[in-house]
Amino acid sequence: MRGAKSAKWVAIAAVVALGATACGGGGGDSSSGSGKGNGVVSVEIGEPQNSLVPSNTYETEGGQVINALFTGLTKLDASNKVVNAMAESIETKDNKVWTIKLKSGYTFHNGEKVTAQSFIDAWNYGANQTNAQQTNPLFSHIAGYSDLNPGEGKKPTTDKLSGLKAVDDSTLQVTLSGAFSAFPSQLSFTAFVPLPKAFFKDPKGFGEAPIGNGPFEMKGKFKHNEQIDTTKYDKYPDASKIEVKGVNFKIYSNPDTAYKDLVAGNLDSLLTIPTSGLPTYKKDLPNRTIDEADSAVGYIGFPIKYNKAFQNADLRKAISMAIDRQTIADKVFLGARTPADDYISPIIDGYRKGACGDACTLNVAKAKELYKQSGGLPGNKLELGYNADGGHKEWIEAVANQLQQNLGLKVTAKPFEQFQTILNDLDAKKYQGAFRMAWSMDYPDAEDYLRPVFSKEAIANGSNYSGYVNEDFEKLLVKGDQAPTHEEAVKNYQQADDVLLKDMPYIPVYFYTLNAGFSDKIKSMKVAGHQILWDTVKLS
Amino acid sequence: MGRYVVRRLLQVIPVVIGVTFIIFCLVFALPGDPIQALAGDKRADPNIAAILRAHYHLNEPLYQQYWHYISGVFTGDLGETYNGRAISDIVSERFPVTLKLGLTAFAIEAVIGVVAGILSALKRGKFLDNVVLVATLVLISIPVFVFGSVLQLEFGMNLKLTPVAGIEKGWPQSYILPAVVLAATSMAYIARLVRSSMTESIRADYVRTAIAKGLPRRRVIGVHALRNSMIPVVTFLGFDLGALMGGAIITERVFNMPGLGGQLAQSLYLRERPVVVGLVTLLVLIYLVANLVVDLMYAVLDPRIRYE
Repeated sequence: MRGAKSAKWVAIAAVVALGATACGGGGGDSSSGSGKGNGVVSVEIGEPQNSLVPSNTYETEGGQVINALFTGLTKLDASNKVVNAMAESIETKDNKVWTIKLKSGYTFHNGEKVTAQSFIDAWNYGANQTNAQQTNPLFSHIAGYSDLNPGEGKKPTTDKLSGLKAVDDSTLQVTLSGAFSAFPSQLSFTAFVPLPKAFFKDPKGFGEAPIGNGPFEMKGKFKHNEQIDTTKYDKYPDASKIEVKGVNFKIYSNPDTAYKDLVAGNLDSLLTIPTSGLPTYKKDLPNRTIDEADSAVGYIGFPIKYNKAFQNADLRKAISMAIDRQTIADKVFLGARTPADDYISPIIDGYRKGACGDACTLNVAKAKELYKQSGGLPGNKLELGYNADGGHKEWIEAVANQLQQNLGLKVTAKPFEQFQTILNDLDAKKYQGAFRMAWSMDYPDAEDYLRPVFSKEAIANGSNYSGYVNEDFEKLLVKGDQAPTHEEAVKNYQQADDVLLKDMPYIPVYFYTLNAGFSDKIKSMKVAGHQILWDTVKLS
Repeated sequence: MGRYVVRRLLQVIPVVIGVTFIIFCLVFALPGDPIQALAGDKRADPNIAAILRAHYHLNEPLYQQYWHYISGVFTGDLGETYNGRAISDIVSERFPVTLKLGLTAFAIEAVIGVVAGILSALKRGKFLDNVVLVATLVLISIPVFVFGSVLQLEFGMNLKLTPVAGIEKGWPQSYILPAVVLAATSMAYIARLVRSSMTESIRADYVRTAIAKGLPRRRVIGVHALRNSMIPVVTFLGFDLGALMGGAIITERVFNMPGLGGQLAQSLYLRERPVVVGLVTLLVLIYLVANLVVDLMYAVLDPRIRYE
């Protein structure tokens, strides 16, 4: 039995060792403030893509946290208009040199005063290619950007944007490389917030426990994949307008689970009701839902630059007219989308209802006629590419069926594994078919729905995957940039929009809507640009 | 004995190198660009993307990338994700969750499975036996995510006995329900396995001898019959401990638990080769250790088996 006995001991030791690591790891059992009545609100987010550095956050999950922790120069109000936040005034004569006066009384959560220099340091960091920040291209309008971005393998010769100057502690002067009327609305994007000195000493550590200047401060560290806990910052100048005592961002990997938690009362706010909840959410959450237009647009795109078959605008219009947008919005998306009738989102100043006109309205007879006139597609065959990972299968297949029926085409819906695989194939000029596309705004301006998606420069730097080029369109954009007033800028951008509507490089198919819900702990709240406006949240 | 264990442990080294290389090749072969994946649905800025690619050696051939990775591992550096987090941090954050979940599930399936199997074998053909047979059939045939969602709905939302999701309440409250879901299928297999091998042992000569000797029934069943019928069960349990760790992917998703399963799925999606390789290697190590323990347990259960 000797052998057996020692074997027994080894086995027991191994089991004990396994058990010990299980307990020693610890963590993950702290309770969060989800008890009712303490004024803390829990909000669903997905795991942020990067650590919580504002200039490295280019998606809505991390953006929501940054928005609670930081206050920028401008912000969105409940009607999606850009208003001053930390800026007292923003003035310019030529849309090129901007003088920004700061409100006083703002401090970072560690007590440091927010000055013009806090903005300059933050933007210099974000714009410098050495730091490889995701939002780096957003700084490209500021003079001196190209010196900080000489390209791969080259080191920038300076670490300061020449266009930034602190006149005094509370006056910031920004010189752009060219006129850009949408600059104040661009400033509402979370990448443009100020940073305290502590950031530059340890950017990595800062990303795990950021120190902001906003209404809420971090409570402990970022607990990855679990939660980000914040509490109200009492020295925030507008603290009295905010009822919420703290925000607990709960991280979910699965929206269905988040929805169950919301209905069970363990979660207070969910900005995107999952498809499984759409049929019942208004009943599950009586008077506690938000149902309004959101900022994103969904398209079907064509590789115009290298597939000759798609180069006829009438052909693209014929395809557009054969799509029954209403049915897709109502039946496939259960009302979570609305039919698109412009390139500019309905929440943006400059959107015109029905701007697209006939070209975006189902008309089978006219579509057939136009299709014939245009010469049609080779072999009457069309391929529709989509990424299989993002819930696009259903609507693409619906479009495929409609085109098949209405135009007599042979349509195949082609799944790609990920959105990036489509993009890579388009870049390599390998994929010949049509493809799904979408755009959501970085800042609330008509310009943001035009230049980053359809301009010449967006072929290399933006989302112009069709390779569309129209010089008139470019000229009108510049005219809008230089316009002396906002109204005139909008008019010019609308003219640029008209050029697009005539050419139809992408077919606009639907506008996204925001289908949100909240718990009975919240009486009312408003959302703009996919971010909760914390001063509008009223507790019950 | 000691030599046997050392020999077995040394075998781990080539296995780990082989496995990491194969996984590295497999993830490398997947289409898609990890740097573009960081930018989500928007196009990554070409200049920034190029700088990041150079930083993570992504424009180098496969063998060089593997070399960077594995030489880091041998100096104790597991590398970092493409968004700059240390992989060792991720492992130390997430491994405890999965391990706690896995071990809880393991305990549930071992205890309930074995007890149900014994009872079923002793009451063969009776009502209890039929109950066990039907129950296990049901558990085996229901997909994990359906079972998980149903329990979540009933216990979490309707009865409010357990949290719906997350690990806020800690062990055991937050872990019980997911562990039951994770254990369900294996529990059913174990019950059936114990039942059939017990049925065989009960009829064996040595059990009849033991009864004839006048030993108490408890001792006959508990020691003579059970000990011998445990060999196939232990084999299954050992294999299953590793499987539980991997199988947690679905359960962790349904119950929103920040464990290795969710991380593995996410990293695979983002094409983060070093993370995927690191996590899979960890799972392989658990498999190897569990199998070693199983082999040693054989000697405990059956004195005829020796490792000299």
